[in-house]
Formats: sequence, C-alpha cells, structure tokens
Amino acid sequence: MKILIVEDEQALQQSISIYLEKDGNLCEVASDFKEAVYKVHLYDYDLVILDVNLITGSGLDVLKVLKKQKKECGIIIISANNSLDDKLNGLDLGADDYITKPFHLAELNSRIKAVLRRGKYGGDDMLIFNEIKVDTKSRTAYINSKSLQLTRKEYDLLVFFMTNKGRVLSKEIIAEHLWGDNSDLADNFDFIYVHINNLRKKLTAEGAKYIKTAYGSGYKFIED
Amino acid sequence: MVVSTIVLYFYVKNLLREEVEEELFSTLSRVEIALTNNKTQFSLAPLVDVSEVPEIKAQILKDTIIYDPSQKEMEEFRELTTFKKINQKNYKISVRNLVIESEDILVAIILSYLIIIVSVFIILFYFSKVRNKKLWLPFFKNLESMKSFSLISDKPISLVDSEILEFSELNTEIEILTNKVRGDYKNLKQFTEDVSHELQNPLAIIQAKIENIINGDNLNDNQFGHLTSIQKDIQRLTQMNKRLTLLTKIENNQFAKVEQVIITDLVQETITNFLEITSSKIEYHKKDVIYVQMDRYLAEILCNNLISNAIKHSPNKGNIVVEVMGNNFSVSNEGNLALENPEKLYSRFYRESETNKSTGLGLAIVKRICDLYNFSITYHFKEDKHIFTINFNGHI
Repeated sequence: MKILIVEDEQALQQSISIYLEKDGNLCEVASDFKEAVYKVHLYDYDLVILDVNLITGSGLDVLKVLKKQKKECGIIIISANNSLDDKLNGLDLGADDYITKPFHLAELNSRIKAVLRRGKYGGDDMLIFNEIKVDTKSRTAYINSKSLQLTRKEYDLLVFFMTNKGRVLSKEIIAEHLWGDNSDLADNFDFIYVHINNLRKKLTAEGAKYIKTAYGSGYKFIED
Repeated sequence: MVVSTIVLYFYVKNLLREEVEEELFSTLSRVEIALTNNKTQFSLAPLVDVSEVPEIKAQILKDTIIYDPSQKEMEEFRELTTFKKINQKNYKISVRNLVIESEDILVAIILSYLIIIVSVFIILFYFSKVRNKKLWLPFFKNLESMKSFSLISDKPISLVDSEILEFSELNTEIEILTNKVRGDYKNLKQFTEDVSHELQNPLAIIQAKIENIINGDNLNDNQFGHLTSIQKDIQRLTQMNKRLTLLTKIENNQFAKVEQVIITDLVQETITNFLEITSSKIEYHKKDVIYVQMDRYLAEILCNNLISNAIKHSPNKGNIVVEVMGNNFSVSNEGNLALENPEKLYSRFYRESETNKSTGLGLAIVKRICDLYNFSITYHFKEDKHIFTINFNGHI
C-alpha cells in the first residue's frame, strides 16, 4: 500500500513510516501544507495520514483538495485537539477516521487497516491469517471455515492482534485499545489476562497457537 | 430633655399657683364687698365659705384636699382663709379654688414632648430613608453586579455611575481591578490550553519511538519492563492533559449544546462498561428515572468520573453502591475513615492519599460540570462509606 504521511513533526513522521514500512507499505512524507498539496496533486495514494495542525496551513484544507480531486484514497486525520467538534468536522469533510495525539502506532496501524479493508478502496472485508479468517462486516471469525464463538472483547482483541501481527503489544496498548480512557482504572491488568487467555484457549483448541508471550509481559501474534 | 421637663413643670406649676392665688384674693375682696353691702351671710361650698366666728385670727393661705361630689373624687384646692370684722360682726371667710393637679401638668408636658419627639423622629426617618435610598442606589446596584460578576462569563463588569465622588472613585478602581483580574485569568487559561496542546506533539513522538524500540531487536525483559512502564506514565500524562483541556473547555463554556439526557440509563451503560475492567462489585439501585437537560458528553463524563472515582478509592475491591432516586444520583464506596479535608476534594490535583495514581482532576471536573448546570454536589461519610450525591435540582 502506498501511504502519504502529512505531519510537520519530523520525528513523529519518521516513527510512523518506520512502523508502517515493516508491513511492506510504501511510505512518503510531507512536512508542510505546500508539500502535501503538491504530492497529493501529483501522485495517487491508497491512504493519507493528515495532521490537522500544520505550521503553514490546516490539514483540513488538504482534505478539501483531496475530496475536490475525487481521489479514491482513505484519509485518517491525526490531531492534537481532542475536541468532538474537530472530529465531526473532519469526518464531515470526508475523512474515514480520526485519531488524537498521542496515539499508539499499533492503534494507528489497526485503524489504517480497517479503513483500507472497507471495500471502497479496493480492499475486502476479510482479514486472513493462515487458517484464521475474520469477516469484519459480520464480525465473525472462522478457523478452517469453522466459526469461532467469541465475545465482543475477544473479537476486538483478535482483530487487533491480526492487524498488528508480528508486533510486540504491551498490555498497556491492548488495554487502551479495548477500553480507551477507562483503561487507567485498572491498577493491574488481570482483566486483560482473562480475555487474552480465553481467546488463546479458543484458538489453541482449533490448533492455532499464534498468541505468544513476549518479554515476559507483552504479547505477539506470530507464526512459529 | 429631662431637665427641661422638670424646669417647665415647676415653672408652670408656680405660674398656675400665682394665678390661683390672685384669683383667690380677688374673690375674697368681692365676697367682702358683698358682705358689706348685703349684710347677708352666704356660702357656695366649697368655693366660698362664710361663717361667723367669735374672734379674729391671722390670714391663712394653704392647700387642702376636699371631696368634690360633682367629680366624685378628692380634689386639691387652694384655700385662703381670712377673718374680717364687717358690720360689727366677725366673719371667717374661706375662698377656695381648684388647683390643676401637678401630675396632670407633668403628664401633659411629657405627652406633648413625646408627641413632638415621635413625630420628628418619624418625619426624619422617612425623609432620610428616601434620601439615602436615592443616594445609595448606585452603590447597591454596583454591589449586585459585583456579586454576580464571574470570571467564567468573560463579560466586563458594568457599574452605575454616581454623583458622589467616593462612589465614582470606587467604581473606577473596581473596574481597573476586575479588568486586570479578567486579563490575568484569560492569560492563565490560554496558557493552560497552549501547554496541553503543545505537550501532545512531544508525547506522540515519545510514544511512537517507544513502540518502534519495542518492536526492534536486542531487547531484554528488563528493558521491556522499563519501556512499558514509560508507556504507562505517558498514558497518565495524556489523561491529565485531556482532563485539563476539558476543564478549560468547560470554563470557556464550549459545551453549549443542551439535550435531554436520561441519567438512569446513562449510569447503567457506564456501570456495564466498568464491570468489564474492574473486580469491584457495583450495585445499582434504579428507583426513579431522571431526565436532565445538559450536554450529553458532559453527562457521560460526570457519571464516568464519579463511578471511576469510587472504584479507584475502594479498598480491597469493596462494594460500590450507585443509586438513582428522586432528584438525586449518589455513588458510595466503602472506606475506613472520613476524608481529612473534604473541602479540598474538588480542587485540582488534590489527593487524599499518595498511593493511587489518579490524575487528581476527576472530581474537579465533576464539580465544574455541576457548577455549570447549577447542580449541587455533596460529600458525606456515613457508616464507613464515602457518599457523593448530586442533586439535579429543577433540571428535570
């Protein structure tokens, strides 16, 4: 996938592209408004990651340019502003998703994949990893065409693992993905163990032993 | 006043006595003339009393008390008794005259004084009241506008001008002062906003870099532990940031959207969410349905913060009781001791104990939301329970 990262913070720009390139994506960067508009005019991207607050202009204006050109690409807005209005504004203008700084790269990755999966941009609703198949439209998972009975959280967890396969996911990241702001309530992550263990048991029962422990307290979804 | 009353009393008494005596003497001389001319002896008791006596004595002038049948009481009379030889007969002539009783004089004086004083007092009172009212009107109006002055509303204070120099000076000073306070407050707010905004970029960079390090090679368990602990702290910082921004937004009145929120259902949703991540038991007593007119997002934050506060501060995963009844929404959790400083509960960054890693902003936000909609929030400690109650007043 070809992705454009429009972000004026160089360090963040680099970190995002390093993370995404590991999945075999091709990342290009734009550091200011002008460069962004220029690149958007010249090239086609599958997805554009747009920072709203660019020093030389607003990311929302880049979004308007994109929409004017009727380019078939997914758009994810990143913003330092956690306001509902901004969010609605961005989505109204045609963005596919909105994420607030600071965010976890795994979370961003998961959102990117979700946007790309939506048939609109040439992807499909199926998420496949070896024998595991997830239909994201009907929210059901199959192993070798046999449907898995998963709870809502287990399903979310499985999708999160599959979209970030091969990555080390700490419990903090997982907790935040599943419970958002409320995840700070838990002083220990026992409740995560419960969900992960249940999911693991259900997968292992079907012979899919992909959830591995990493560094003692993290998790990794990977083939042997 | 008292002295003048006494002096006046004696003066009038004396005057009357002299007048009475004068009258007595003139009556006496008339009686004498009558006796001389008519040679008949007559009496008009008790005013004139003529009788024949064997010998002549000296003239007597005295006070006497005689029963007056017409008044049916004892009356004080002034009596002049004289002995005269008229037409070779010795007569005793007594003339008397009613004396005005001294108590009556005193009462009259005091009464007239009282009437004068009271009427002067009443007139002065109403006069000064009307005058003062006019004079102090701008002052009280200004006092009212000072009372209603609020930094949050962002409106300058409007004062009424007065003709009185001191008042207009006071107005000028108050205007200068409030403008300065408003300016400082605005700067402070702007600063908070800017800081929380500017912090987000570095935080995002740190977080992204940590994730890349975790996904790199050559990491041991120990390093991974440190990195995830940093992630946790970043999350705390992020939460704090979000909450500070939220506080500023509430203060800036950026939540003007008002809709009907069913608190009873919202609490149910919140509890369901929390039950997924906590091992505390949450009991929900749904007794009434509460409808409130407010911003939905703020209503969510309100329920969320109160219940999560109870979860965070309940020892040993104790029971949490949430109740919705009448106008009230209350949340209680078990505790060993009442809070030491309940008045500080709602201040920013105040924590009773250092043990838990809360942002110290949750209740400050709850309080702000309550203030915004004029809900009242109370805390009390009863039967080993910390109880927070929100009364939605008439917003239903």
